[in-house]
Amino acid sequence: MPRSLWRGSLSFGLVNVPVQLVSAARDLDYHFNELHDKDKARIEQRRFCSEEDVEVMWEEVARSFDLDGQQVIVTDEELASVEPRKTRTIDIEAFVDLADVDPIYFDHPYFLVPAGDSEGTLRAYRLLVETMGDAEQVALGRFVMRTKEYLTALRVRDGALTLTTMRFHDEVRPTKPIPTGGKKPGKKELDRAVAVVEELTTEWEPERYEDCYRERLRRVIESKQKRRKIEVPEPEKQPKPAPDLMAALERTLANARAGRDVRSEPDGDLEELSRDELEERAKDAGVRGRTKMSKDELVEALSDR
Amino acid sequence: MAPRSIWNGTITFGLVNLPIKLYSATESKTVHFNEVHAKDGARIQHRRICPKEGKAVSYDEVVKGYEVSDDRYVVLDKDEIKAAAGDRGKVIHLTEFVNAAEIDPVFYEKTYFVGSRDHEDVYRLVHEALERTGQAGIGRFTFHDREYLVAVRALDDVIALHTLRFHDEVVSGDELEIDGGSRRPSKREIEMAGRLIETLAEDFSPESYEDSYREAVLDLIERKAKGEEIDLSEQEEPEQGDDLAAALQASLGGKG
Repeated sequence: MPRSLWRGSLSFGLVNVPVQLVSAARDLDYHFNELHDKDKARIEQRRFCSEEDVEVMWEEVARSFDLDGQQVIVTDEELASVEPRKTRTIDIEAFVDLADVDPIYFDHPYFLVPAGDSEGTLRAYRLLVETMGDAEQVALGRFVMRTKEYLTALRVRDGALTLTTMRFHDEVRPTKPIPTGGKKPGKKELDRAVAVVEELTTEWEPERYEDCYRERLRRVIESKQKRRKIEVPEPEKQPKPAPDLMAALERTLANARAGRDVRSEPDGDLEELSRDELEERAKDAGVRGRTKMSKDELVEALSDR
Repeated sequence: MAPRSIWNGTITFGLVNLPIKLYSATESKTVHFNEVHAKDGARIQHRRICPKEGKAVSYDEVVKGYEVSDDRYVVLDKDEIKAAAGDRGKVIHLTEFVNAAEIDPVFYEKTYFVGSRDHEDVYRLVHEALERTGQAGIGRFTFHDREYLVAVRALDDVIALHTLRFHDEVVSGDELEIDGGSRRPSKREIEMAGRLIETLAEDFSPESYEDSYREAVLDLIERKAKGEEIDLSEQEEPEQGDDLAAALQASLGGKG
């Protein structure tokens, strides 16, 4: 189980459930350290006083706020004094429809798991899971972690209570200044665009998407370790806007319906492809017996689709 | 004032190309403090020190190393790290669409607003198509030499781009090994808890939730600046009971 980050109780009405918080997201990125090029020693970040030019230990560091030019030093004790009264409790304040909370508000996901294995705790936890499990609602509450108060959304995922920290309304920027282009689309264009979206609609299956960046970085590190040459790929050029929007939509829709790459230009395509390319397409299209087909047979099988 | 864009590129929707700019959609308002030297109030500087030489090192003498085993590093230069970014450059191809409501909130990471880079009509077309279908286009987006999985959807009058976590970055409930206990909650308890949810149901209005802690910290800073004495007395935590049914009943106002 992931490491516990916080312990406290979840309070629902007068029911209190002892819980601990664990992260629901893990960091799988490759991380790099800074090294001194000359001797490959690992760089250390140290604190220096800008006035005296001497190293300063953490115990000698204070926290200061710039209030219109005035430096105001605030101590840990003073900060603790304004912490909300309940630093060990998550209070459920309200239930709202999940569909009404835009994903823009969601920040970091966590799980809440029962703290301890007392029968009372496990049963109260299960009561919340069962009651909230089929609701299309999320509970909103607040909690304090590492001296900061968060607004959170609680719901059930995978049979466990999950808590997601949320952004406050004034941390979401207004959309008004965002440039949104020209005229409203005509009915014909919009119908075609909607048809393209519908044609390309698929189930959300997160397992189908791998982190290719992580994999490429792994290979780069491996190549470097084996002293192989590392090629930097040429980035794709940005395509220009289509001169004829309606024609572009029609072609896209035809491609989508035919199961072709949506960006392929339809003129004279199949005949001009190599046998290997045709077989590749036949594989994507699920053509049976493709490995034994001649080039002409592949063209025929594919043009039927 | 027009916001500053952080990226520009092209979203493709089949053969329809949409030139775009990206804008940050969120900003943290957490109160930020500077580190100062307690003795003289001077700002603290962070310096890079080579522990072997005990001397400060300038940034151009620094390279990136990946630790393969204890204190053994594979050194990569900037171009080599760039090689991992792939060849997509500044193009985001929306190759498939999924029902936006089906993407579990746990996948959403960071949100950007998509703005139109010119006055072409394509922006509104893509926006309306996404809005009308309730679908999100799935694609890949390269930013600062790193590739992200993204969902592009209509959000009010604009198009929003959300970076998504990958499936293996999301912890599943099975990994938690939660003990189910031996006694299930009773029907009556579930029924009472359900009623308690109903009494707490309301419409989501984000404006009604203020960051009261942020305000308290800013207020503390102002009182401190005026030279006020700060009351440091400890706060008390509430006690908790352990009779589940009685607590539920009391929460419902004794009308269980």
